[in-house]
Amino acid sequence: MRTPARIWSVVGFLILLHFGLHLSLGLGESAPDLLVVALLIAAREVNIGRGAGLGFFLGLLDDAFSVLAFGANAFALTLVGMGGARTRDLFVGDSLLFLGSYLMLGKWMRDFLHWVAVGSDLRESFVETMLIQSPVSAAYAGLIGLIVIAISGLGWETIR
Amino acid sequence: MPIYKSDTNGSRGFPSAFIAVGVFVLSVITLFLPDASQDEVASLLRGSLLRPFVLAQEGLVRRSIHAEDTEVLQRRLDSLEVVIANSNTLAEENTTLRSLLLLSNRIPAQYVAASVMRPGTPGSESMFMLDVGTERGVTDDSPVIMGQGLLGRVLEAQATSATAMDWTHPQFRASAMTVDGTVYGMVRAAPGRFREADRLLLNGVPFHQELGPGVTLVTSGLGGLYPRGIRIGVVIEESGSQEGWQRSYWLRPFVSPGEATHVNVLVGEEGEFRDANSWSEGGPQVQGPGAAPQELAPGTSDTEATTPR
Repeated sequence: MRTPARIWSVVGFLILLHFGLHLSLGLGESAPDLLVVALLIAAREVNIGRGAGLGFFLGLLDDAFSVLAFGANAFALTLVGMGGARTRDLFVGDSLLFLGSYLMLGKWMRDFLHWVAVGSDLRESFVETMLIQSPVSAAYAGLIGLIVIAISGLGWETIR
Repeated sequence: MPIYKSDTNGSRGFPSAFIAVGVFVLSVITLFLPDASQDEVASLLRGSLLRPFVLAQEGLVRRSIHAEDTEVLQRRLDSLEVVIANSNTLAEENTTLRSLLLLSNRIPAQYVAASVMRPGTPGSESMFMLDVGTERGVTDDSPVIMGQGLLGRVLEAQATSATAMDWTHPQFRASAMTVDGTVYGMVRAAPGRFREADRLLLNGVPFHQELGPGVTLVTSGLGGLYPRGIRIGVVIEESGSQEGWQRSYWLRPFVSPGEATHVNVLVGEEGEFRDANSWSEGGPQVQGPGAAPQELAPGTSDTEATTPR
């Protein structure tokens, strides 16, 4: 059953796990981007303002170790949080296809916004970053997100 | 247990969209904050909310270093013993020549050993953290060196930790020269198609001076950031992009940032090591992880080592 406690516990757990894997264990790209998964799950439960606020906060945490482009993650996740919250008004449903697409597109969009925000001096080529690397990491994050949703029983019946 | 109802009505009395736009504007402002303000915010987050994760990584890195293969450590020890044995006569000759020239002893370079931690978050690819800080003598811009050469420099030193960048950072610059000091230039990072393909580019070499493949480049000490003599890389080939009457060369760095787990940070009083003629001469001293910062040799103001350029 989807309860506030369960949803926010899962979101909090994913955030902790993200920093645990990326920061404490230093896994880097080997670990999925659980921060965006947590944000996308949370964004479906809150309004657009709170979605943006949560995205901004999580982005700042991710930016704490960014000397290349501080604020790029905050910018990207703010917009992803806003977009995630807005999808409730645009898309109703919890099918496997929808959720998978939602998570993967959300992750791809986060990478794209980050790529835009880092500036022309620092960004790598669009083809390699957005058309090769990002789809793979989006699929990775989407798959992990679906597994998390299914295991945690967040109420999306169709994928359990 | 009550069924959870999603928050679909927005914040009462305060349009949610207005808040969202405000947060978005804030995120844009964050992107364009001055570097000093960005550093303050990042530093605050690293020292508070993210501190437990950093500490956990510190512990894991220390354990992994302790678990390093003893055969590798033995090989390194053997190599060092050979180097020390070969430099005994050099030290003796140096002392003799200095006494003949009435020069006092050079100030030895001071190092602190540090463990490297990688954040692994987006945008942090060219930076790393060190588990030593100002309490051990590390300052902003302290050079970070691995056994084979220059890795990077400290960006921001805090009490017990420091944030540093390696040579793959787009803003990395180092004044370089050949070992014999005949050719000078400026080294900068040149990103490859993939991170693994990153390399260095030597710019500003006069057109009439040519470098062949395999020539070693070291820091020249010009600019006051890195002391003279730290190995940077070897020439691979001449770069196609020539600017005016200058040549450019691709360099293969001695140090791969991915291999850095344990490094030495050059420390000292403000500007002392930067005035030294060579970091590799004068018996560099590495302090162990638990050692306190050592006192520097006093009364050397009349030596070339401390004479400002």
